[in-house]
Amino acid sequence: MTVTSHDNVPTTVLDGAVKDYSRDKVYVLTAIFLGVVTLVEIATYAFPDFPVWADELVVPVLMILMAVKFFTIVYVFMHLKFDKPILTRIFYMGLVLAVVVYIAMLSTFRIWFHGQHG
Amino acid sequence: MAETLTSRPTIADADAHQASAHIDADTNTGISNTKLGMWLFLASECLLFGGLITTYLLYKHPLEGPTPHEIFDIPFTSTSSFVLLMSSLTMVLAVSAIERGEHQRMRVWIGATAVLGATFIAGQIYEFTVFVREGLGFTTSRFSSAFYTLTGFHGIHVTIGIIMLVSLVLLSLRGKIPEHRSETVEIVGLYWHFVDVVWVVIFAVVYLIPS
Repeated sequence: MTVTSHDNVPTTVLDGAVKDYSRDKVYVLTAIFLGVVTLVEIATYAFPDFPVWADELVVPVLMILMAVKFFTIVYVFMHLKFDKPILTRIFYMGLVLAVVVYIAMLSTFRIWFHGQHG
Repeated sequence: MAETLTSRPTIADADAHQASAHIDADTNTGISNTKLGMWLFLASECLLFGGLITTYLLYKHPLEGPTPHEIFDIPFTSTSSFVLLMSSLTMVLAVSAIERGEHQRMRVWIGATAVLGATFIAGQIYEFTVFVREGLGFTTSRFSSAFYTLTGFHGIHVTIGIIMLVSLVLLSLRGKIPEHRSETVEIVGLYWHFVDVVWVVIFAVVYLIPS
């Protein structure tokens, strides 16, 4: 039987082909990992005196955790890991442009120096 | 000229034999124009939300009215964040289901995603209501304007996502999303995941980083 790309594909055609297809486990494990990272983020608020993120360390720790969550979602859930490299380049183009432009803007307003911006 | 599907690799074949799990489209890049367009749109959205987050960072110290850490309810927002995070899991499971041709399961996962998204929006409406009752209106201070604009824009994006999810379920019930059009679900999924990653940034930068 020839199936054209304009016809509905019978599920039976696909069933055999996807017998061992188990990427769902990766997704569930990724979600558990993201949940754990979120719990650590919340812990920085609940236990502010914990040595790992005490005082000035809390900002870099939160930034690292945020970046880990961000890139995990983008690579696994948004399939950049499995998809064509050009999509990664397109997304990074926007992301890097945004980060550079707004870091320059924040620097213009001297946000890195307490009490000198606004 | 009819093109036979039997000559194309299935997603399972792609997984088994190469790193790329996506079937090539008939374009120069091998990516469908719709998907390419969505990624370009998401890249541009980085600039939109980057601008809103930057504005918030500049104005987060209010000259009058309540300060962020006097008014934020972190345990409540943490729960909302967790709900939105889990909606990304249900969304990706929906994409996985339609790629396997499991329509009923796809509809269940998409429905779950929409419910989780609606729960997040309900939480945001409740949070805004509490803030207004405590004296933080949109024009109360430069902090409040920047905060409501940023989180409100995000909320609008989530709401649009919920509308797209409900539309997908309705289209699927009418039989208009066969397996070979599973990319439609994937593209809506891309938008939904992006909304989630934006909240990942907002949650850390706006709610968790101390003043």
